[in-house]
Amino acid sequence: MKVKINGQEMEAREGETILELCLRQDIFIPHLCYHPAFGGQGACRMCLVELKEPGRKNNRLVASCTYPIHSYIEVITESERLQRLRRNIVMLLARRASQNPWMKEMAEQYAAPSMPPVETEPADCILCRLCIHACEKMGKSAIWSMFRGIEKRIATPYDEAADDCMGCAACAQICPTQAIKMEEDDKTRTIWNKSFELVACRRCGKNFATREQIAYMQESSGYEFDELCANCRKVTLAQNISHYNH
Amino acid sequence: MSAKVKESNPDQQTVLVCCGTGCTANGGRKVYEAFVEKIKDHPEWKVQPILKSTGCNGWCEKGPLVRIMPRDITYCSVAPKDVDEIIDKTLSEGLLIKRLLYRDPVTKEYLSSHHQTDFYRKQHKVALRNIGEIDPAQIEDYIAREGYQALALALDNMSGQEVIDTVKASGLRGRGGGGFPTGLKWQSCKNAPGQPKYIICNGDEGDPGAFMDRSIMEGDPHTVIEGMILGAYAVGASRGFIYVRDEYDLAVYSLGKAIEDARSHGYLGDNILGSGFSFDIEVVRGGGAFVCGEETALIASIEGRTGEPQDKYIFPSEKGLWGQPTVINNVETWANVPVIILHGADAFASIGTAGSKGTKVFSLVGKVVNTGLVEVPMGTTLREIIYEIGGGVLKKRKFKAVQTGGPSGGCIPEELLDLPIDFDSLTQAGSMMGSGGLIVMDDHTCMVEVARYYVNFLAGESCGKCTPCREGIRALLEILTRICNGQGQLEDVEMLEEISITMQEASLCALGRTAPNPVLSTLRYFRDEYLAHIEQHRCPAGVCRNLTTFYIDPEVCTGCGLCAKQCAVEAIQGDKKQPHVIDESRCIRCGECFRNCAFNAVKIG
Amino acid sequence: MQINPQEFDEESHYKSLINSYPGQPQYILAIMQDLQKQYNYLPRLALKMIASHVGVPVSKIYAMASFYKAFSLTPKGRFVFRVCDGTACHIKNSETLLDQLYQHLGIRPGQTTEDGQFSIETVNCLGACALAPVVVVNGKVHGKVKPGDLEGIIRECGGQCHVS
Repeated sequence: MKVKINGQEMEAREGETILELCLRQDIFIPHLCYHPAFGGQGACRMCLVELKEPGRKNNRLVASCTYPIHSYIEVITESERLQRLRRNIVMLLARRASQNPWMKEMAEQYAAPSMPPVETEPADCILCRLCIHACEKMGKSAIWSMFRGIEKRIATPYDEAADDCMGCAACAQICPTQAIKMEEDDKTRTIWNKSFELVACRRCGKNFATREQIAYMQESSGYEFDELCANCRKVTLAQNISHYNH
Repeated sequence: MSAKVKESNPDQQTVLVCCGTGCTANGGRKVYEAFVEKIKDHPEWKVQPILKSTGCNGWCEKGPLVRIMPRDITYCSVAPKDVDEIIDKTLSEGLLIKRLLYRDPVTKEYLSSHHQTDFYRKQHKVALRNIGEIDPAQIEDYIAREGYQALALALDNMSGQEVIDTVKASGLRGRGGGGFPTGLKWQSCKNAPGQPKYIICNGDEGDPGAFMDRSIMEGDPHTVIEGMILGAYAVGASRGFIYVRDEYDLAVYSLGKAIEDARSHGYLGDNILGSGFSFDIEVVRGGGAFVCGEETALIASIEGRTGEPQDKYIFPSEKGLWGQPTVINNVETWANVPVIILHGADAFASIGTAGSKGTKVFSLVGKVVNTGLVEVPMGTTLREIIYEIGGGVLKKRKFKAVQTGGPSGGCIPEELLDLPIDFDSLTQAGSMMGSGGLIVMDDHTCMVEVARYYVNFLAGESCGKCTPCREGIRALLEILTRICNGQGQLEDVEMLEEISITMQEASLCALGRTAPNPVLSTLRYFRDEYLAHIEQHRCPAGVCRNLTTFYIDPEVCTGCGLCAKQCAVEAIQGDKKQPHVIDESRCIRCGECFRNCAFNAVKIG
Repeated sequence: MQINPQEFDEESHYKSLINSYPGQPQYILAIMQDLQKQYNYLPRLALKMIASHVGVPVSKIYAMASFYKAFSLTPKGRFVFRVCDGTACHIKNSETLLDQLYQHLGIRPGQTTEDGQFSIETVNCLGACALAPVVVVNGKVHGKVKPGDLEGIIRECGGQCHVS
């Protein structure tokens, strides 16, 4: 169906969100808690856009990452009002993560005024919650968002080594501010207060997974797991196929 | 529109003892138990008096209340030791006990019934029509007062659509704070495709100072149940849930009992009253979270998740509980429905203002003489409620502000007391009607501290998911705390306003969007207090401890010694009938002496 | 996660309580309420058992336990002083009562005395605003409480007050 973005008419798919449409059409809307693998959460509020509605003096603000398109709408993605809003959200996040280099850069980019930093310890986490969705997607949900209000934080139960954690580090990889601390040497990986034995690829010798990850993959697939990293797995498969073609 | 009572034996006396939470805390249960004991000892009576424990009458200030019908006598502040006298003098000989009657403070007259007091006369009870008159644990009491007649009428004579049309025509709007037209909500749910459909009663009353819903759930649970059955019939729902705030033990119990009774009488369950329509209700207890009063958070809570709201671009009436069409309404909204169906939309709409029909229950609390529950037509002014019904400010102190709408609302100053209360007028003044809490504040209240108090409340109650609310509240709290501690800067006021705007525009749910209201409304009407804190390091109300010192004026002090007795740190010295002195080095500035001195001899330094 | 050894003694009791509810997420709150009432906190082992009973990861069960203030993750005192901090009680100086309780018991809201006898909590409005300020001790409601009344209430619970 037809919609209008920044004065320009374009085709939208039924039920897709405003953000998905705009990203598809190369119209950038800032966002911190949206990821194509999980969709939008409406948590960071950076992706807010203006909706022009007939009969309304002031445009309505909606989160583009959760607003589904079901009919004709007129959207504005850039304005002074939105600039001010984004600047203030960055200001509030930069205050919380006052020592974090990624956040500092973002604060500069949005010309966020500096405020006295929070009275508690500065955190690197901006509570975008991408990590808990990554963990959930990996099938484990070892971490989740705990507590409430200003005490909200991402953690394992009791802040202890979680039985469910398999050390895959998908959470650390997806984190935009590198807030998840991980230590690794050639034998062990330690993350979320838990240590894991790293397993090497039998073909190239590089560490590619933890023992627990392999056990989980075996358990969920029901097949015995060949200890190959992703690259070597592709190469081996290609070799096997070419072998059969003869 | 008052409920008709069945004809009864004129010799039949009924003793009604209020056992709502307030009166119970004051010993109401013990009074009831004393009656149970002592009435047994009078076999000589021709007709045994009926004894009932009722829900909250609303006049908590004068509790425990004991009422005697059919003479309509009301005794106040009754203690167990008064019970013998009441039985001998009033029940047996028909005499009034003067000292237990209410005495009007102005006319000095003793009034035999609470119906004659200003507090009651000016009220118009619809949602509260039965409370205090019935034992909620006896369904027969409810039935005797037109109970379940609306349901019978609807099932016999009306289609679901006709029920919706009646509710639409009445103009009923949601009583929980949102004020959304109830009929439209029901229509949207009826139109939405999909089965099953659900009905939810939002009993998560969380605004501090508000206890309207508690009283209805405790004292007249059947009106909520009947309302819900009517709503279910209207939209085609098969299951209902009453989500009750965890802290409301008595309400949970009362509702549970009422549901059982309704089932055994055929009002709930399969094939209700032979109509073919089936519906049942279960009670879900909350987990102690203010944010669960927000409908999407409430739904998440019932589903077994944390109470984090979500964007409502599709309403619960289309996709609610477990993704199904769901009607969710507040307790007081449901309580009005049976009256509307039985007596018609026009009768309901004949009361109130153009945009806000019917009555509203308010909890009038704080520094006011008559604290309690008040039900008045929409459009009644704040002044009428506080002064004519409420009896004015406690201890004749100076009125400063009335806080309306809880943490989502704002403070209304004296010059706006003639505002009629309805959904729209208070919003323009920077507050909102909200669920109905009215907190009266006097000149001993610091408005900056009030803003800080509400923000602090929300700091723990926000779900914490979205940035503007969580981080905005964190920043507002730190700034307001610094101001109250004497470390505020002028730039802080600008920053409070800037953050507030972002929170109002960008927060995910109404908690975050309205969180700045107490800050903005106190800045609007009491800016000078903020400036006194920041520029003069002074708290004019004598509340903020770092910005206040107290001293005793020797010219005024009578040496009664009350302050010294109450002082928690023994900082006050003085001989009897001699002016007392505060030792500033020991004084913790708690303000007890300041607030309690009968001669206003304690002053702010 | 580490389980407290004593909890294994109660395992069969947790099991019968948890199994009395269907294994669906919508009963998590009700199960937790029963456990809290019975044990005065939510035992770790019980949380783990709820997770498998309803088929929800234990991190989300812990999230619910930490989100909803009705629950305690650590054992509370035998006597819990709930000081209402609703607006009406607040403007009638519930803060002074908290200060006085600190004088008597040496603990602040959220804390428990070392001997496990007393805990203090601030609670949201209990709806008894006409009796402000209100303190509830193990279900018993005390209204219009003055700082001087607190010593008597503590003694009623068999407690000792510090000499300030």
